Amino acid sequence: MFKNLEIFQTSFAMARHAGARQAVTAANMANADTPGYRARAIAPFAESYSRGETSDMRVTRSGHIGASALSTPAPVGFSDAEQSPNGNTVSLELEMMKAIEIQREHNRALAIYKHSLDVLRTSIGRR
Amino acid sequence: MTDFSDAMSITASGMKAQAARLRHVSENIANADTPGFQRKTISFEAEMAAGQPTGRVETGRVRLDRTDLGQIYDPSHPMADESGNYAGSNVNLLIEIADAREAQRSYEANLKLFDQVRQMSSSLMDLLRK
Repeated sequence: MFKNLEIFQTSFAMARHAGARQAVTAANMANADTPGYRARAIAPFAESYSRGETSDMRVTRSGHIGASALSTPAPVGFSDAEQSPNGNTVSLELEMMKAIEIQREHNRALAIYKHSLDVLRTSIGRR
Repeated sequence: MTDFSDAMSITASGMKAQAARLRHVSENIANADTPGFQRKTISFEAEMAAGQPTGRVETGRVRLDRTDLGQIYDPSHPMADESGNYAGSNVNLLIEIADAREAQRSYEANLKLFDQVRQMSSSLMDLLRK
């Protein structure tokens, strides 16, 4: 844990991912009444993490810092919701649910970060 | 952090667009009894910058509803023709109220999201506190 501090990188990537997803959700919600607008979506963090999009970059020396947390979140795709007569595919209810989910994910990431920081602080004998 | 400020400006654009829509709806309702008034409509468009959608929404230009004006029978009206009819407005109050409701719902959704993004960014700032 203390060599690479991977837990910090992972929680940082998670928080970043949540932020990017929130921006996409905001765009969908702002365009909820725009004719012909197609709702966009970013895959959840767990999915893009297991697909390896946020995994560590290969390091040639152990001293190098991996760029995992700095990699950009998964590419933006279109969500396949039902179309309304004017060609808009945004569902306000669905976006609301997603926004709550994202906020919880963000809070979780920050809690992990803060807790790890506390552990680190305690281990070096500061309170 | 840029994601948060992006999200905030996007939801703000959504609220602005819905407010503009509500303004035109109230204009229509206020003029429901004005003779010869044609109802105004505005369109929503996804804002583009350099060929890419920015995510923000903007309102298009104001258009007039071209449907026929309603004929109202009132021989004592100063604008009445020989048959006793005069042209009223083509505002349908039912449609306007429904439109206003929808605008309100969308406005609330955007406001809710704005608040949520603000909470997220302030909880991020709380990390700096010991």
